Amino acid sequence: MDEKKLQQWQMIALVGLRVIIGWHFLYEGVAKLLLGNWSAAGFLLQSKWIFAPVFKWMANNAAVLDAVNVLNMWGLTAIGLGLILGCFTRLAALAGIAIIMLYYVCNPPFVGLFYSIPMEGHYMIVNKNLVEVAGLVVIMLFPTGRFAGLDRILHKLFGKK
Amino acid sequence: MSENEKKSGDASAGKPGRALDRRDFLQGLATVPVLGLFGASLLQKIGYDKKKRAAKTAPAAVPGPDLNVALLGAGAQGEVLLNAMLKIPGLRFRAVCDIWTDYNLKKTVNLLKKYKFDVHGYEDYRDMLDGEKDLDAVVIATPDFWHARHTIDCLQAGLNVYCEKEMSNSLEDARRMVITARETGKLLQIGHQRRSNPRYIHCYEKILREAGMIGRIVTINGQWNRSAQPDLGWPQRYAIPDAKLKKYGYSSMNRFRNWRWFKGLGGGPIVDLGSHQIDIYSWFLDARPVAVTASGGTDYYDPATHEWYDTVMAIYEYQTRQGRVRAYYQTQTTNSSQGYFENFMGDQGTLVISESGSRGSVYREVSAPQWDEWVRRGFVLAPKLVEQKSEEETAAVLDVRETLSPDEHKLPVEFNDPYHKPHLENFFNAVRGREKLNCPAEVGYETAVSVLKVNEAIEAGRRLEFNAGEFAV
Repeated sequence: MDEKKLQQWQMIALVGLRVIIGWHFLYEGVAKLLLGNWSAAGFLLQSKWIFAPVFKWMANNAAVLDAVNVLNMWGLTAIGLGLILGCFTRLAALAGIAIIMLYYVCNPPFVGLFYSIPMEGHYMIVNKNLVEVAGLVVIMLFPTGRFAGLDRILHKLFGKK
Repeated sequence: MSENEKKSGDASAGKPGRALDRRDFLQGLATVPVLGLFGASLLQKIGYDKKKRAAKTAPAAVPGPDLNVALLGAGAQGEVLLNAMLKIPGLRFRAVCDIWTDYNLKKTVNLLKKYKFDVHGYEDYRDMLDGEKDLDAVVIATPDFWHARHTIDCLQAGLNVYCEKEMSNSLEDARRMVITARETGKLLQIGHQRRSNPRYIHCYEKILREAGMIGRIVTINGQWNRSAQPDLGWPQRYAIPDAKLKKYGYSSMNRFRNWRWFKGLGGGPIVDLGSHQIDIYSWFLDARPVAVTASGGTDYYDPATHEWYDTVMAIYEYQTRQGRVRAYYQTQTTNSSQGYFENFMGDQGTLVISESGSRGSVYREVSAPQWDEWVRRGFVLAPKLVEQKSEEETAAVLDVRETLSPDEHKLPVEFNDPYHKPHLENFFNAVRGREKLNCPAEVGYETAVSVLKVNEAIEAGRRLEFNAGEFAV
């Protein structure tokens, strides 16, 4: 395979990764929006490890909790759309990394910490959140939106010469 | 490869400041169709969730014309029924009748007056029938040996009757009840309240009849186990005088309070408890038993005050269109292990149901076809997470002879009302001409035939067969 061709396939693979992670974000956001009464309170309240006081403060402060809920539901939805469509891809990836890292440090899967709200699987340190963050780091560092995504059009129309 | 294609393969394709070409559009919008797939999946999921919710909640009741109602028998069971009825709109309580005038009657009349009902209390039901001329219906919760007289006289007085199970402790009397209902043209509902329970109706109509999810039922087991309990007492100052007790068929206050344990008054635990569940066996199988074998006795309590058996184990045989079914039932009053439930075992799955909301699941046999369709249609919930299951089972699968336990699908229907409320509602709606009775006298009679035979089989010490004609009136 010549280099160009390989490069093209590499980009296609990265776009696939981007769309799939975007799908996950979009679904998490839409599902919470559809629930109507979704709240992060339970997740925040069971927070463990060194940042636990901060997350518990969020859950116990009604105004903050409301903001957290809205930011979560719409944030996840917007990040999902951004990643799927390749629109402001880098910004979406960065926001995604930030939000997932918050989840991670809120309920870190360290040996010896036990949670009542179930998390998938059994982990030591590395969980699926961390895997997703690693994927987003890769996406942030490659301009997949300019290969296949609305960024390509935006960039061409508004990008600096 | 053309010059253009070469460019598009490059990550830095789409240089700014140039006109958009066709390729920019195609690649720029390449991932938009993913949103279509997402939307379509989401719609499917919303549809499934909607079905699940619809199965969960019963449609809201439409109030009908008010009915004038009397309660005949205001003891423990009368109280249960009354509490359920107080949650049903459109009922006007006019009369309460109980021979324990200083206690049950007073308590119940006072309660109903608190609810602003213009209600009269009676000791003798005949006085009530003479005094209350505008009653539409009566709810009877007296001891079994009174059911026939109370029911027949009320039907003949032109009332519709809801009579607690067991219909009667004598089949001859039960037969007369059926005949009187027919002759008078009045309604007679027997209190097998599971017949109106939305969870049971869902199991019968959807899971068994429409989907046939558990395949051919070959065996059933069920039970009602209760902790040991002391006999019921009474405050001495409220004791009923002997002469009055005698007038109503009781030779002592103890017999009046603990009639369920005495021959001639009640039928014992197999009738009090088993009757509800054996009724479900026949309902779900659409069949009547052909034979019964039973063992039982008063093994724990004093036989002088517990004439009926405190422990009973029975095996029914049914002949269904699909073949032979053997159905085990036990009731014991000395230990509450596993409580009460009915467990239907088919060649494709198992249905476990109980009036208590804690049990209600269908388990798919590993060898049976997948149930995805029934999950999609809202008949059962999706199976419990395999991940949760596997942890409990790690030990079991180490042995290759063990089969993996089947997936558990919970019932989607939730029911949080008093257990008797839907059955009473069904009765009152039938009185208003809007519904058919879920447990008319004929059905109650069939169950009485099935259940009373257990006591006979214990006495006979052998397997007893039913004649097909035995169930008909």
